[in-house]
Amino acid sequence: MMNDTIKDLKTEQAFANQIQKTFKTARVRVVREKRVEVIMSADMIPPYLTHAKNQHDFEHLTHISCVDWLEEGHFELVYILWSYSMNIQLLVKCRIPRHEPEFISIHKIWDHAETYEREIHEMYGITFAGNDNLGEFLLEDWDGPPPMRRDFDTVKYSQENFKDRMDARQDAQNVRETITKRSGEEMPDFAKPYSLR
Amino acid sequence: MIREKETTLYLGPQHPGITGNMMVKLKVAGDTIVKAETHVGYLHRAFEKLMETRTWMQSFPIVCRICVPEPDPNEENFARAVEEIEGREVPERAKYIRVMVLELARLASFGLWMGGQSGTAGLYTIPQWTVGDRDYILDLFEELTGGRVYHMYIWPGGVRKDLPEGFTDRVLKTLDYLESRLPAIDNLMFDNAIFQKRAQGVGYIDPKHAREWGVVGPPLRGCGFKNDVRIDEPYEIYDKLKFEVPTETGGDIWARALVRRREYEQSISIIRQVIEKMPGGEFYNKVPNPLTWTIPPGDAYVKTESVRGEFGYYVVSDGSTKPRRVHVRGPAYVHAVSLLERILVGANIADVAFIMNSLGTCPPEIER
Repeated sequence: MMNDTIKDLKTEQAFANQIQKTFKTARVRVVREKRVEVIMSADMIPPYLTHAKNQHDFEHLTHISCVDWLEEGHFELVYILWSYSMNIQLLVKCRIPRHEPEFISIHKIWDHAETYEREIHEMYGITFAGNDNLGEFLLEDWDGPPPMRRDFDTVKYSQENFKDRMDARQDAQNVRETITKRSGEEMPDFAKPYSLR
Repeated sequence: MIREKETTLYLGPQHPGITGNMMVKLKVAGDTIVKAETHVGYLHRAFEKLMETRTWMQSFPIVCRICVPEPDPNEENFARAVEEIEGREVPERAKYIRVMVLELARLASFGLWMGGQSGTAGLYTIPQWTVGDRDYILDLFEELTGGRVYHMYIWPGGVRKDLPEGFTDRVLKTLDYLESRLPAIDNLMFDNAIFQKRAQGVGYIDPKHAREWGVVGPPLRGCGFKNDVRIDEPYEIYDKLKFEVPTETGGDIWARALVRRREYEQSISIIRQVIEKMPGGEFYNKVPNPLTWTIPPGDAYVKTESVRGEFGYYVVSDGSTKPRRVHVRGPAYVHAVSLLERILVGANIADVAFIMNSLGTCPPEIER
């Protein structure tokens, strides 16, 4: 069965046509050699990924990526898959509203999707229903907003929250001045902070 | 059966066998692991976020820092992704130089791996040799790019500088030297009964699930799959070169070690072919003023075969002077988290660092 399916899909176009036939509402595009892009509505993602894995041999879930389209009010989830038999990289894309960052977990289809979803949850604040392991991953004791969102201003956040640390750092950076003062010498101009030159 | 009391053991974040900091929380009964949990977060430098606030060119010094032992696949991936979105052509000579640099980086990374793999097995001579040999490759990089570890050499449109005069001769001489060292390394490491006994049957990955679990690179080839990005989706000029993709069927550390050992020879052969076939001509297709350089809207997923496996970049442009999103997929992302947690169960505490090294654990590429 599997072999017949692969024989029919000799080229990317043939494969794309086959997806289009089964999933009529999806927008399928052959990007280039070995790259096919599928854009579909969010609720179609789990059934389509199951179909791609079982019917078209997309065994390898390379990554799940998230792009924040702040101006349009969407998060774009990109599921990147690879088929070892067809040598095609498939990019399955869907958009979910920014004000309702919830989606369905696919860790039942690929176990390691759990880690990817955990990172997206931490960095973008998207909750994946069905994934029980959405705890801390890269960030520790983080109570700020999800940091990879486009509206998260890193400079502003650190100025507001790490003021004490920034002062401490400035003191630490003035080692030369402290030493020259202690030994009663004048610091050369080029070594002074820009504000004192 | 006597049930032993379970104890929790924190292994790391300073680790003997890997580059970078990562912790494995182990639940052990006696010295057998019952449950393992990977804890990362010691190296998070928010590179992906940083790149969103920098221009395309300013992102270059960041990408290579994503992986310390082998920074060049990052540069090449990022450059190729930008070229693909923009539709920029790369001169033929630049492609050859890129492949030479990538393969030299592989050799350097193999040196570190051999050192780590044998060092974690208690053979402390090999690290002294192979890390020393790696330095000869770093000398070449220093001459070519100005940097020993981070090169910032491969960028959109080609490479930063042409090869210095007589450089290829020095590369060939270094290759001859590296090849002449292999019998001694074999004698001390691969033919060594201690190493073989430590490696055989340990860190077993079930070939039935290897692909489904997201395993790539030597661990996948150690399970008997002949999959290599350089063959499956040839980039640059890999389709013009002749090389073998070694495989083993064991699925254990020994199989992965043998695969890497044979890949070392293949990399040497690839660099020789590249030097022999390298054409003349331009090495760089100039990009516009980097400060105002915009990339048309679009996205691209590109990948390279690094020593640890598939290294992928998903880059999105919104038509501005800065990337909208750069997402890095390092092989260690799967190998050191979900796969490691799985295959550590049932292993001995003494084998943890050994197994981590065989999977090519590299925390900086998990955290980016």
